Amino acid sequence: MGRLTAFLRLFHQFSLRHLVRHRGRAVTVLLGIGLGAAVFTSVRLSVDASLSSFGRSVDLLAGRADRVVVEVTGAVPETLVAPLRRHPAVSAAAPVMTTYVRPAGDEARSFLLVGIDPILDRPMRTWTAEKRDGKTVTAWQRLMATPATLVAGASLARDLGWRVGDRVPLEHAMGRQDFEVAGILADEQLGRAEAGRLAIVDLATFQELTGRFGFVERIDLILRPDVSTGDLEALAALMPPGVSLQTPGGAKATGTAMVRAYQINLSVLSFASLFVGMFLVYSLVALNAASRRPELAILRSLGATPRRIFALFIGEGAVFGILGWALAIPVSTVLVKFLLDGVSRTISTLFVRVEIDRLALSPLEIGASFVLTVGVAVAAAWQPAREAMKVAPKEVLTQSPVTAEDGPGARRLALGGFGCILAALPLARIPGLPGLPLPGYLATLLLFVGFALLSPWGLRRLGGWFADGGDVPFVLAVRYVRDSGTRTAVSVGALITAVALFTALVIMVHSFRRTVEVWVTQTLSGDLFVAPKMAEAINFQDLMTDADMQVVRSLETPATVVPHRRYNLEHQGVPYTLEAMPMIPFLRQGDFVWYQGPAEAIRPALREGKGVVVSEVFANRTGLTAGDRFEADLGRAVVKWPILGVIRDYRTQGGVVFADLDALLAVVPDAGWTGVRFYLPQDSAGVEHLRQELIARCGDRLDMVTGADLRQSILEVFDETFAVTTVLLLVALAVAALGITTTLTVLVLERTRQLNTLLAVGGSRRQIRRMIFTEAAFLVALGEAAGLVCGFLLSYLLIYVINRQSFGWTFIYRVDWAALGFSVPLIVATALAAAVPALRQVFRRPPATLLRER
Amino acid sequence: MKPDPVIIASGLKRVYPLGESQVVGLAGIDLAIDTGALVVLKGVSGSGKSTLLALLAGLDRPSAGRLVVAGRDLAGAGEADLTIFRREVVGMVFQNFNLLPTLTVLENVSIPALLAGRPRSETLRRADELLAWLGMTPRRHHFPAQLSGGEMQRTAIARALINDPPIILADEPTGNLDSANGAAVIELLADLNRRWQRTVIIATHSTIADPYATVRILLKDGAIVDGSWAD
Repeated sequence: MGRLTAFLRLFHQFSLRHLVRHRGRAVTVLLGIGLGAAVFTSVRLSVDASLSSFGRSVDLLAGRADRVVVEVTGAVPETLVAPLRRHPAVSAAAPVMTTYVRPAGDEARSFLLVGIDPILDRPMRTWTAEKRDGKTVTAWQRLMATPATLVAGASLARDLGWRVGDRVPLEHAMGRQDFEVAGILADEQLGRAEAGRLAIVDLATFQELTGRFGFVERIDLILRPDVSTGDLEALAALMPPGVSLQTPGGAKATGTAMVRAYQINLSVLSFASLFVGMFLVYSLVALNAASRRPELAILRSLGATPRRIFALFIGEGAVFGILGWALAIPVSTVLVKFLLDGVSRTISTLFVRVEIDRLALSPLEIGASFVLTVGVAVAAAWQPAREAMKVAPKEVLTQSPVTAEDGPGARRLALGGFGCILAALPLARIPGLPGLPLPGYLATLLLFVGFALLSPWGLRRLGGWFADGGDVPFVLAVRYVRDSGTRTAVSVGALITAVALFTALVIMVHSFRRTVEVWVTQTLSGDLFVAPKMAEAINFQDLMTDADMQVVRSLETPATVVPHRRYNLEHQGVPYTLEAMPMIPFLRQGDFVWYQGPAEAIRPALREGKGVVVSEVFANRTGLTAGDRFEADLGRAVVKWPILGVIRDYRTQGGVVFADLDALLAVVPDAGWTGVRFYLPQDSAGVEHLRQELIARCGDRLDMVTGADLRQSILEVFDETFAVTTVLLLVALAVAALGITTTLTVLVLERTRQLNTLLAVGGSRRQIRRMIFTEAAFLVALGEAAGLVCGFLLSYLLIYVINRQSFGWTFIYRVDWAALGFSVPLIVATALAAAVPALRQVFRRPPATLLRER
Repeated sequence: MKPDPVIIASGLKRVYPLGESQVVGLAGIDLAIDTGALVVLKGVSGSGKSTLLALLAGLDRPSAGRLVVAGRDLAGAGEADLTIFRREVVGMVFQNFNLLPTLTVLENVSIPALLAGRPRSETLRRADELLAWLGMTPRRHHFPAQLSGGEMQRTAIARALINDPPIILADEPTGNLDSANGAAVIELLADLNRRWQRTVIIATHSTIADPYATVRILLKDGAIVDGSWAD
């Protein structure tokens, strides 16, 4: 205890006072690491809030169920409820149906509608509802007794201005129906699912609305406490073909797994800012260790052990980590409010629907942020602390000039750097775990480290080439940069990291967008897309009615009709969509974006129904590829087709398998349609004409979107998704600019004597400023050039390794020369602007100090 | 005939703010130094030697009073004027040599001329001449870290002379040298004064330069307490 107190006292006197005395530099580094930590923490908090809300919602909807009975296409026979209730292993059984509906005419505010049997459901889920007069009533009796009544969640009722007794029109695939609000759910238990944006109806009312008579989505079971394995086996034996008994965590696990890759990628991207901040900490601790060498020698001569010196500098790193984290937390709470909306919308659009009910600062995330920030700062201080502990006590007598240690030789570092870069390539080829591209990330880290290690050697080479050209300020600047050692190179390393990340992401996002553009133009070709109402929200679970299908077959407007039938299936736990459509008209009007296999040979076979094509995501996730056999249990039939080829597809909820509709109908004659796309002759006015005809003949039972609007909306979602990425990139660049500021300021401050000597021998202030500016330009030039090279390599990793390992897809490689051409000079200008504070420091101390300092 | 004074100071004062108080560097001195003089400035630490030298070198500005060096009014000079003054009028020699570590001996010597915009070839020729005179030719491509203290100070003297200034200011030029090298440096400065008629001002604690002095000035607490003119 006494030793700790003594150390803390020394730390305060030796380290903290020094940091306070040079608070300008310390604050800049704190800003850098704090900003990095804030971005990382707020991104994690945003994703965590979204996932927590999703998880809570799923748990609340699952209630106390121990097991759920489900069917592959979501249609469990309702007749199964009675035998299950009677089964000795079952304590309670309750059927559940869910779908999304929307207030009539309000496309933006769809919400979850839950159909239950109010009596059977009592043991399963707890909820209470209040009447207008505030008394709790048995709303479940009203739901049962009065058809077309609903109990609305508190948030939903508040948003839509509903009150008990109101009549509200709702829209669903099967049309529109008026409901009476029988009560408002109390903000507790089930009332909190979906952040209170849900409504409960009686099962019969639900079936009336959706037309799904005789089937339920699932049956929740509570098992008896003493249930044996034999009982469970007997229970499972009750299930008809296609129906299975599962644990209730499946939906949550599937949803969380879908978001995991997105969460990891965003976390890694946000960690980049913290990684860049690490360079800043290294830079300042290294400066302190070098410039305070005489003081360290004094401490050593007075009895301080090397270990204590090491601890002092590690302590400096820890202080930056702790204060940076303390700064990051309040910044995160502000930043998360801006990020949360974008992140939750992205997750809702791409993966699973989330409704954020509350934003809690997860202690786990806050703790993780603390450990990571302090860990990163301590890791950054490690090498300078090791250098500091090597100072010998005898140096107190030698009065050696105060110069920064050059650290390990530039050539040795460069060899290490080349080694890292070369090691990244084979590492990237190792397959990662599903959704966790660990080898890809390690390869990325090796690339960053490799290029950072190359920078001292790069500065030497660059300096060597220019050392004898130009005027005096230029030559002096180049010589200084050439000989300045590892510490200068650290800032170049930070800039390389930020520029590389920027370049790689610009290329990746551009390649992704261009490929998606090709995909929406070819695979999502068509002039009008028609589906049952809310089909998109409920993932095309409902079929078009026979009447509507008949209308489509007998339209007067001339159009090529391409209907489709989608099944949402799983292959060994991997969710995917089987989509069957008539290939002859589709391939005449549109095409797939081919990835593997000879398109010219595959198309005819596909038209003839001789096989299927699978998406790259499906192939990567399941391991099934061209030449393999695709097999799927559709409930009433099992289909088996050879896989003819692999295509690119960018739907985010798993892979897709495309088959010919006639081939499907041969196996499942009454498969029905989940939607239709129309191709019109070269006449844009025809789209509106077709719409009008469909409305006139089908009423408002169908959702319709023009092909142009659909493609446009997909690209808008795409752009919105990457808006968060852009913010993270800008922060990483800002932190790198802070690195340039710190380095140049430190270089200026430690050279005050040299700069004043130049002034004394006739150099003008302008010449000296130009010299500093040239130094900045050299650092920035090398950082930019190496960053660009690293960025191009990294873009390959992102597109062909990390995206493949995270999401299962790759893109057609395209470089956005225009964006790079515009932004690279902008980054150069920003980095050079970061030199301004250093320029201001040049003459902070009067030149006369040359004569006073001996 | 007595030569014209190259340095004229009257009521020269330099006060440094220090927190809420002030430190007096020079308390208002009067001074006239003739062209070709070899002045030895003496005094204990804090007496004002370096302050006076900084003002004479155009590295600092007086708080009050008049200072004219080689016909240039330094009290009212702007930054650009002071830069030109430092290039054309004074050459500085420091105790710590203050050579730039990334430049060779030849480059260090050349730098004031190149900063002043002199042609490179002419500058290198002049630098070579100076190095030859100082016996430094064999070391012309060496870096400062490869030189002895005496060699570094000879390099610094060559650098002070490259622009051919009429005044040489030396701040404790022997402070970091052994006695033999210290004597050699003082002999060099005296030679400059005697043969080339440079005005040389040496601020020093030691008595090593006393035999060569034409003027001895003793400073104490920012004031001249003794100024004796040798014949």
